[in-house]
Amino acid sequence: MVKLRAKCILVGDASVGKSALSQMFRSDGGHFQKNYSMTAGAELVVKSVSIPDSGDSVELFIVDSGGKETFVEACEKLWGQPSVLCLVFDVSSEASFRNCGLWLERVRAHCQGLQVPGVLVGNKSDLSSRREVETAVAQEWARSQGLEYHETSAKEMENCEAPFLSLARAFYALYQDRIQTIQTLA
Amino acid sequence: MIDSALSSFGAQVILSASSDENYPPENIIDGNTESFWISTGMFPQEFIFRFTDTVKMSLINIHSYNVKNLRIEKSTSSDATDFEVIAQKEFEHTEGHLQENDFSLSGTTATHLRFIITSGYDHFVSVHRVAIEGTR
Ligand SMILES: Nc1nc2c(ncn2[C@@H]2O[C@H](COP(=O)(O)OP(=O)(O)O)[C@@H](O)[C@H]2O)c(=O)[nH]1
Ligand SMILES: [Mg+2]
Repeated sequence: MVKLRAKCILVGDASVGKSALSQMFRSDGGHFQKNYSMTAGAELVVKSVSIPDSGDSVELFIVDSGGKETFVEACEKLWGQPSVLCLVFDVSSEASFRNCGLWLERVRAHCQGLQVPGVLVGNKSDLSSRREVETAVAQEWARSQGLEYHETSAKEMENCEAPFLSLARAFYALYQDRIQTIQTLA
Repeated sequence: MIDSALSSFGAQVILSASSDENYPPENIIDGNTESFWISTGMFPQEFIFRFTDTVKMSLINIHSYNVKNLRIEKSTSSDATDFEVIAQKEFEHTEGHLQENDFSLSGTTATHLRFIITSGYDHFVSVHRVAIEGTR
C-alpha cells in the first residue's frame, strides 16, 4: 500500500471556473456558489484519490493560484516543482481557449524538462447556447499537446471529478514506471 | 571501512517523510545498493538515522538516483534536536546508472544524521545506500 503525493497546479484565465471546479471536487459535488468573490490569494485543496484495484492512493494538493495577480508575481512562486497540471478554459469563451497555449508554455518553462502529466478542461459545458469552442477542436488541440481532454460543468456538477481522477492515475502510472526503471539500475 | 552498512554502526531509521512499504527506508542502511527507498512525490523529502553510540565520521558515501539537491544535518543530542548543517550539494544528473557522491567530514561526531532532499531531477527519487567511514 502506498500513498503518493502530487502537487496539482490549476491554471487558466480568470473566471473560467478553476476555483469552482476545485471546490466541487473537494466537496464531492456538494455545493456550487454562484457569485462568490474571486480568489484573493492562493488556495489549497487537499484530497485523496484511491487507485482502483490497488489499495494505493494519490493525495492531490491542488494549488488554485487565484485570479487577480499577475502571473509572474503570484503563480510562479507557488508552483515549485509541480507534479501534475490542470489547465482550464471556459467553453463559452474562445479567448480563454486561445490563451491555453500561453499557459502551457509558461508551465513548461517552469518545469525544466520534468515530465508533468496534464489535463485540459473545458468548463461551463452547461452554457450550450453560448458555446464558442467545439469539443472536437479542443480535443484535437489537447491531443497535440499530450493532454487528456475533459468537459465539465461545475454549475451542474457534471464530470468535475474526472479530470482529477485522471491526473491521479497518470501520476500513479508514472510512479510505477519509475520503480521499474530504478530496479533495472541497481 | 567505506563499504560498511550503516546498520553495522547500530543505525536505525527513526523518521522518513514518505515511503512505500515495498521500498522502506531501512533499505538505505542495509549495505546493499540493489535495495532502495523511493520517495512518493513532492519535495522536500527527509529521513533521519539514529546511532546507538556517538559516531565519529570521516566520510559519507551515498548511492542514489535522480536526487538533485541534498543537505545533510547532524545532531549530537540524545533526542534528535539541534540539528546543524554539515554538508550540502547539488548532485549531477545520471541516466542509466546510480549517482554516487562522497562527503568528506574530518571526524565530525553525531548521534543522528538527517538527510533532506530539497529537489530532484524527477518526481520520484531513490536512495540505495548510505555508507559511512568512521569509528564508534
Ligand atoms: N454557467 C457556469 N458558470 C460557472 C461554472 N463554473 C464556474 N462558473 C462561474 O464562473 C465564475 C468564475 O468562477 P471561478 O471559479 O471564480 O473562476 P476562476 O477565476 O477560474 O477561479 C463564477 O461566477 C462562477 O459561478 C460552470 O460550470 N457553469
Ligand atoms: Mg479562482
